[in-house]
Amino acid sequence: MDLQDPAFWRAGAISTTLVMLVVLIFLTIDSLAVSRAGGSHVPDYTVINHQIGYRYDWSRREDVPVIGGDQPLFGKTWTEPEARALMQEGKLVIQSRACMDCHTFFGNGAYYAPDLTKAWLDPAWQQIWMPMTGAKTQEDAMVDFLMHPERYPTWNREMPNLHISEPEARAVVAYLKWMSAIDTNGFPANFGKLSIQH
Amino acid sequence: MYRSQKLALRYFTASATLFGVMVIAGLLSATYYVFPHFLFGIFNFNMSKILHIDTLIIWLLMGFFGSVYWFLPKELNRELEGIRLGEIMFWVFCAAVAVVAAIFIFVQYGPGDETSLWLINQGRKYVEAPRWAAIGIVLIVLTFAYNVIGTAIKARRMTGILWVLILDLIPLTLLYLDAFPAQTNISHDLYWWWWLVHMWVEATWEVLIGCIMAWALMELLGTSRRIVETWLYIEVMLVLGTGILGLGHHYFWIGTPRYWLSIGGFFSALEPLPLLGMVVHAIYDAGTHHMQTTNKPAFYWLLAEAFGNFIGAGVWGFMMTLPQINLYSHGTQWTVSHGHFAFWGAYACGVIAVFYLAAQRSRGLNMVDNRSWKWGFGLLNFGMVGMVGALLIAGIAQAFFERAEGGSTLQAFVVAQSNPWFEMGMYSRLAFGFIFAAGYTVLMYDLLTVGKRAPAVAAQSVAA
Amino acid sequence: MTPDALVFSAIMLGLFVLAGGSYGVLYGAGRIWRRPQLIKTGFACYGIQVLVTLAIVALTPLSIMWKVFILLSCFAYALIPPATWRYLERLHHTEGKTT
Repeated sequence: MDLQDPAFWRAGAISTTLVMLVVLIFLTIDSLAVSRAGGSHVPDYTVINHQIGYRYDWSRREDVPVIGGDQPLFGKTWTEPEARALMQEGKLVIQSRACMDCHTFFGNGAYYAPDLTKAWLDPAWQQIWMPMTGAKTQEDAMVDFLMHPERYPTWNREMPNLHISEPEARAVVAYLKWMSAIDTNGFPANFGKLSIQH
Repeated sequence: MYRSQKLALRYFTASATLFGVMVIAGLLSATYYVFPHFLFGIFNFNMSKILHIDTLIIWLLMGFFGSVYWFLPKELNRELEGIRLGEIMFWVFCAAVAVVAAIFIFVQYGPGDETSLWLINQGRKYVEAPRWAAIGIVLIVLTFAYNVIGTAIKARRMTGILWVLILDLIPLTLLYLDAFPAQTNISHDLYWWWWLVHMWVEATWEVLIGCIMAWALMELLGTSRRIVETWLYIEVMLVLGTGILGLGHHYFWIGTPRYWLSIGGFFSALEPLPLLGMVVHAIYDAGTHHMQTTNKPAFYWLLAEAFGNFIGAGVWGFMMTLPQINLYSHGTQWTVSHGHFAFWGAYACGVIAVFYLAAQRSRGLNMVDNRSWKWGFGLLNFGMVGMVGALLIAGIAQAFFERAEGGSTLQAFVVAQSNPWFEMGMYSRLAFGFIFAAGYTVLMYDLLTVGKRAPAVAAQSVAA
Repeated sequence: MTPDALVFSAIMLGLFVLAGGSYGVLYGAGRIWRRPQLIKTGFACYGIQVLVTLAIVALTPLSIMWKVFILLSCFAYALIPPATWRYLERLHHTEGKTT
């Protein structure tokens, strides 16, 4: 074993790379199964028909999503094909408007606007926007905000009007509701449970 | 000069130009944080950010292409195969970038359907360019790969550096295919997106810049091929050995299994170790040459590469990579601080070093050393360190107030963004951004004029 | 993790790598320019890294697995600069390039 022979290190580079790639491939197969819609970490799209919560689990020592009883969305219980179509549209809207270049999703994206991982669970909808919009449900308040953000500013950094139509806004709201039910291993921690004393 | 090297100079010119566009877009993005109503509704933050991060990727990629087009003909002592096609694709590349930039500036977005993704904006970070442009990038990368592989085949010669480069081009090209899909399931979308982003900037690009640095060291310091190849293999082994499963540090919070916290955290925490070796190596090379060289700026930018990589990627990364910390630092300005420093150290400094090497050779200069390069070097690095420091303070404040204290709600976000430490960080970042921009201007002035300003010196024709 | 512990732990982790890197740089600089004082300063930086390691182990709420990892890393950092140096000298020496 001559450490000064490049061939030794070349063999090391090739074998290390191959071993790591094989491990990655096995872990990828498992991860994709766990994170598919209906997998153990990612709920089926019909979760939008249910109440969603976020509670600390002492056995896992982290916050976990909790799927509760029936909670129709926009006054409707969505079938699996309908929910899937709604999610597809929601994701296309999110991409077409480049939401990820102002907001973060699971902390990925841009940091100018709030993280949207648990946006569906944010108390601000009930506390601020439902009174502001006069909407009867949270989802209607969210739709109104997305369509006309310039009417409901809350601080000096505002969301621009991106000409989101009503069907598009509904699809995005449904997407955010589904996304809030994904098990993200506890991110973000303590969502909605703390109050800031400043 | 080989035709390929003339093409390299064109790539360097385009690269340096886009570097400037990136700086302007960066200043604009930073301005929104302190003047949020600036151009509001006309040109919003997301579009400015898209220009900033996409030109980052393109200027570095063009710098890499140019570097390979510059060094490869000398490596194989022949003109590159398919060089005419390569020359045509350069103009296609520039045209595509210009059209996409115009679309981002003047059209910006479309309705939520596949047509918008094909024509206007795909909205996935770093790969927002519409699909037609992504197809163009694939063709450009394939042409580049053909230029490299075809030449090696025609020359019937391979070197260690070339083997590593060619093998690296395969995943580099294939990974870009993730620029196309629009997956509904965001967990799957992000899973594959990170294959592209991480395996580009923390794997295949590391290997690519390693090859370029190997050639640069041979040219600048006369280091023997055996030594640079040995180091290249060691570097590939350590960087890919830690970086492939270090990909897992992006899989902590996206809906993937919990074992990624251990696996990703562990391998990611190992990533600084090869960078420490590179810094020691850089000291060795600097010392054996007594800091003397015929191209001072190239030499110092190579040193900046080693140090910047270690500190920006290694130190800053290690601060935030352990999952218990990352739970709070994730998705804050702390990440921005790390990202700027890491990209700067790992890639930008290296590409600038090659700019200077090419300027020296193409103008037949015996020696490159003047005052301008020092000002450019100083202002750019001082500006970068200042920006990164400001972002670090803002990021720590954000992690503290928004995430740890506030629980990451909208209210917590607003409180943190309004925190005096955070706001001071944003103002400081903008100020240091202007210093960085000044450094860029000096760098461009120096690169454009080096060798043309000084009185005529007896310049022996240097074998280009 | 409390907010204060978060900031303390993160800064300690950054200092850990920075101290290790400073040791590597100073050790290398001391060897190449034959300045024992620089090498000693390098060892002092390694001493700081050891102290930071102990602080991480004793004072941060990181899990035991990570604390063991940091301890082992600290040993590795001790070896990397001299091992790298020795290897570089031998590699260049066999090329006929001596320092």
